[in-house]
Amino acid sequence: MYIIIVGQGKLGSTLTAQLAKEGHDIVAIDIKSSVITNIVDTYDVMGICGNGATVEILEEAGAKKAKLLIAATASDELNILCCTFAKNLGTVHTIARVRNPDYSKQRDFLMKKIGINTIVNPEFETANEIARIIRFPSAASVDSFSSGRLEIAKIVIPEGNPLHNMPVFEVRKKFKQKVLICAVQRQNSVTIPSGDFVLQQKDSISITGSRNEITAFMRAIGIYKKKIRNVMIVGGGRIGLYLAKLLSETDRNIKLIDSDEERCHQLTSALSDVTVICGDGTDQNLLDELNLANQDALVALTGIDEENIIVSLYAYSKYLNKVITKVDRHSYSILTDLGLETVISPQLIASSIVTRDVRALQNSADKSEIHALYKLVGGNVEAIEFSVPYDASYENIPFKQLEILPDLLIVAIIRNGKIIFPDGDTAMVGGDRVIVVTAGRILDDLHDIFA
Amino acid sequence: MNYKKIFNQLGIILLIEAVLMIIPFVMSICYRENIRVVIAFAISMAAVSIVGALFKLNKPERESFYAKDGYFLVALTWVLMSGFGALPFCLSGAIPNYIDAFFETVSGFTTTGSTILTEIEHLPKSILFWRAFTHFIGGMGILVFVIAIIPKTEGSVMHVMRAESPGPVVGKLVSKLTASARILYAMYCAMTFALVILLRVGGMPWFDSVTNAFATAGTGGFCALNNSIEGYGSAYIEIVITVFMLLFGINFNVYYLLTRGRIKEALKDEEVHWYLGIIAVAVTIITVDLTLTKHHFLDSLRTAFFQVASIISTTGFSSTDFEKWSTLSKATLFLLMFIGSCAGSTGGGLKVSRITVLVKSGLRSVKKAFNPRSIETVKLQGKPVDEAVVQSITAYLAIYMVVMAASVFVISIDTWKGNTLLETIGSVVTCMNNVGPAFGNIGPTGNFSEFSVLSKIVLSFDMLAGRLELIPMFMLFTKYIIPKKERSISNMK
Repeated sequence: MYIIIVGQGKLGSTLTAQLAKEGHDIVAIDIKSSVITNIVDTYDVMGICGNGATVEILEEAGAKKAKLLIAATASDELNILCCTFAKNLGTVHTIARVRNPDYSKQRDFLMKKIGINTIVNPEFETANEIARIIRFPSAASVDSFSSGRLEIAKIVIPEGNPLHNMPVFEVRKKFKQKVLICAVQRQNSVTIPSGDFVLQQKDSISITGSRNEITAFMRAIGIYKKKIRNVMIVGGGRIGLYLAKLLSETDRNIKLIDSDEERCHQLTSALSDVTVICGDGTDQNLLDELNLANQDALVALTGIDEENIIVSLYAYSKYLNKVITKVDRHSYSILTDLGLETVISPQLIASSIVTRDVRALQNSADKSEIHALYKLVGGNVEAIEFSVPYDASYENIPFKQLEILPDLLIVAIIRNGKIIFPDGDTAMVGGDRVIVVTAGRILDDLHDIFA
Repeated sequence: MNYKKIFNQLGIILLIEAVLMIIPFVMSICYRENIRVVIAFAISMAAVSIVGALFKLNKPERESFYAKDGYFLVALTWVLMSGFGALPFCLSGAIPNYIDAFFETVSGFTTTGSTILTEIEHLPKSILFWRAFTHFIGGMGILVFVIAIIPKTEGSVMHVMRAESPGPVVGKLVSKLTASARILYAMYCAMTFALVILLRVGGMPWFDSVTNAFATAGTGGFCALNNSIEGYGSAYIEIVITVFMLLFGINFNVYYLLTRGRIKEALKDEEVHWYLGIIAVAVTIITVDLTLTKHHFLDSLRTAFFQVASIISTTGFSSTDFEKWSTLSKATLFLLMFIGSCAGSTGGGLKVSRITVLVKSGLRSVKKAFNPRSIETVKLQGKPVDEAVVQSITAYLAIYMVVMAASVFVISIDTWKGNTLLETIGSVVTCMNNVGPAFGNIGPTGNFSEFSVLSKIVLSFDMLAGRLELIPMFMLFTKYIIPKKERSISNMK
């Protein structure tokens, strides 16, 4: 697919890297020539140096025949302008990153009247994701499908847990819960486990099921954590503000720390029921003074990765129930080795959203629509929710008669609001929602899962 | 440096060379040539495939591939390709001395066209074909060919493309490198095919049409006749080749834009304007000069056009013995050798775009001396040229001059062979710019056979350095150029 990506900052370059790897034809645009040189040297893409919100540059980049344009420059206004131009030049689908909360209310107007197809606000999505984790603290991260009917939760097997040395097929027998282990990450390799795969401590596993079943399972294996009431947020940037707002709506004690006094005033006027503290949130004395040890959760959201990591490690040493670390440079693989359980990267979250759009744009007849796409365990594994079209060639044929590719797992089928864990005799029916987990394959459509 | 990956790639390239040798091998059988020639090709193919297979056994432990790896791979590729490409000449007895054969092959791959052969016409057809074929392979570049045929590429392959393609700035035509390389080769082959047909229509035998088309396409200059294109004695052929030499000296991006219907953009290319402008001036000077020295005007125009096209595109064909021309005309040709063709073409020389930027930045310095506070950016095609690019072009010129001076000095040791100063300087200039003929003994009717072994090696180096634009060849000697401390830092990456 022909894709133009304007702005090669953290988000833009993450998208360029990922979409280039998936084999799309990509034109990368940035105003800085050194950035473009670097991008062209690292990925197989074409680079254009210039202002992406001008018709000349967009025409040179081929906006007339492009299927998708993603505007991810630092400026919201530029992104909106860029998408408007591209749309008028003939680009099929446009995605703009718009971060300013002032514009978030204009979202519908921008989409319906201006014609921008998708508006991504990575900071808001990140805050949403963090709020979801805080609501479900036992898991390292949670993704939900089919409006919350089914969830995928990631947990790390603690040392000495009964799951240690247990083959996957025994798990359900022993704990009598209707959950499924759909991916296992051990150090840097990710596998979709078969029945005789033996789990080990420190593995991070992704389990699927309904919220109640997952909770019951966590109780059974003894990693259930009580509800989080006290949250400390370090860093009052955009994510911090969104998160504090989301959490304050749900009766929790929130402390929000930021070092900039002016920013703190802005935060207090925008928020209610939140304690805003002006101070250096990376200062150990301040954290102790604010009684860090008695908090249930800490969220490190400063603009500097190193500070977030240090604050998180300190919070782990105080045995907090939940520690969430925001990291922009997510490509470093040492983070889990450090013992950071829940690492959040706004780029990966935004790229999940964009990837969903990209997959949905790939044309095919009797297309199965993508409803949700999540990147699990460091972006290597994807969980995708498809809807089964009516009259598809694979409809009503039991799975044992279909040839399904390796490296993927049909996790669950949601039919009339009920979760079905499929076996060989199950068949897909039109209108079903099917959740597929895959390691390393690119799925645009349900057809792609068959050999 | 990731040597394992470099040698693995090198293995693939050598295997491709073995495959390419199949064509002359089959020809030698079909033409029922001397059994020695057939065996020479067989042994060469066996040797290059064995070495290639051995290299390919290197399984890269890591995939990292940086700019320096790209340069190193390109330099080694060209040296080894030439080393093995020389085997058929040597083993078949066409060029008994290996150093001579190596010189001839380097001259072929780098599309120089300087020859050490005194008698060409009696050579076996398969050998002549291989000689011309090296031009065709070297013209667009062997690694660009490899990129075109490999199915999947990473971004790091761009380093290879950049190291092999001529010009100060190398871009892509489309977003996928493989697709870009395929488009380049498609245009290259289509133009070559058109030339073959046009030459055949002009009454040239099939074999000569193909070999001359190869030599023109790569802007090489090897001809199957002793006195080059003059030997065909046809005005039509001269004109056709003139036009095609000029065409192959133009940046292939321009043709891509034309095929895409972006004619306005294509016609706006400033480098091409300068290229055509320089040609017009040179042709005028030589035509006037020739007409004044009792030649017919139209004949003078045709010959001047052919010779100017031949030299500026760095092909090196001759339609007349320009050695007999006046000093004014010879000096004009001599200067054209330095300028060379456009960036992104198959030709050599300094490249018109570099000259344009150099002249503009030179003028800027003069203006600055006049008005020290003035600020001005060098512009090409209305767009500002990055100051880093201007600097790298200036540095390029400096290295170019140093290499040239050092080579002239070494070649001058050959004085006892009776070389004049003009021949000494001319040999280096023609080799570094990948032109072919020079003046005096090595003029259009002469050859390089009289040079000593040392000179031939130095000139071979110059040809490779000129074709690969200096930097890659120096990567082979990083050990001696870059201090150990720095190397270990860069190796840690």
